[in-house]
Amino acid sequence: MAKKERTVIGSTNCDDPIIDYKNIEYLEKFLTPQGQILSRRRTGFCAQCQKQLKKAIKNARHVALLPFTK
Amino acid sequence: MTQLYEAMVLVSNQVVREDWRKAKALVGDTLVKHGANVKALRRYEERRLAYPIAGNQRATYYLSYFEMPGENMPAFKRDFDLSEQVLRYLVQAVEVMPEDEPAKAALEDGTDYTVPEPPADDEPVIEEGVTEEEVDEDSDVDSDDEDSDEGKED
Repeated sequence: MAKKERTVIGSTNCDDPIIDYKNIEYLEKFLTPQGQILSRRRTGFCAQCQKQLKKAIKNARHVALLPFTK
Repeated sequence: MTQLYEAMVLVSNQVVREDWRKAKALVGDTLVKHGANVKALRRYEERRLAYPIAGNQRATYYLSYFEMPGENMPAFKRDFDLSEQVLRYLVQAVEVMPEDEPAKAALEDGTDYTVPEPPADDEPVIEEGVTEEEVDEDSDVDSDDEDSDEGKED
């Protein structure tokens, strides 16, 4: 059975400097339709950037810029 | 020792409807009361919340950059915790302030600057179409997402 192709959403070399909790249009790209954070395999970020992304999304949820669940 | 902080404060639209400058002063006065050196304070935006907070569907966001001694932070946060007009806040330490922030904040200080009255809470919700994306939840979701990370100060 052929392995399913997965699209990487984020930058693979982590040169995106705009991971910020106020940048919700950007952060929404890394959420599933249900509002869960995508894994590193899908985002393409390094571990450090993935942690920054996680923190930014959780901060955005705290101030009701992003939903916890849809 | 002082540290530069960024604060995002959600203020109830009821206060903003009465007087938007009063709502801004609510944030600014609390900062000054606790010895903060306010570098910039401005109305960030008025928007529909992603989820209702204390029965409010909409709120006004204020964004501030300030320097404050770290030992004043608990008392400062307690004031926001006890305030009924402040719905939610987020304070985090930052290294630098964006260069354009003071200019944006200065715009609001003009006498002819006004903000539109916030819409009523019962404004109909415009739902965006949810894109159908096939997601393998077992493998594509960050397993850390299930953490409850409620501590909001760095």
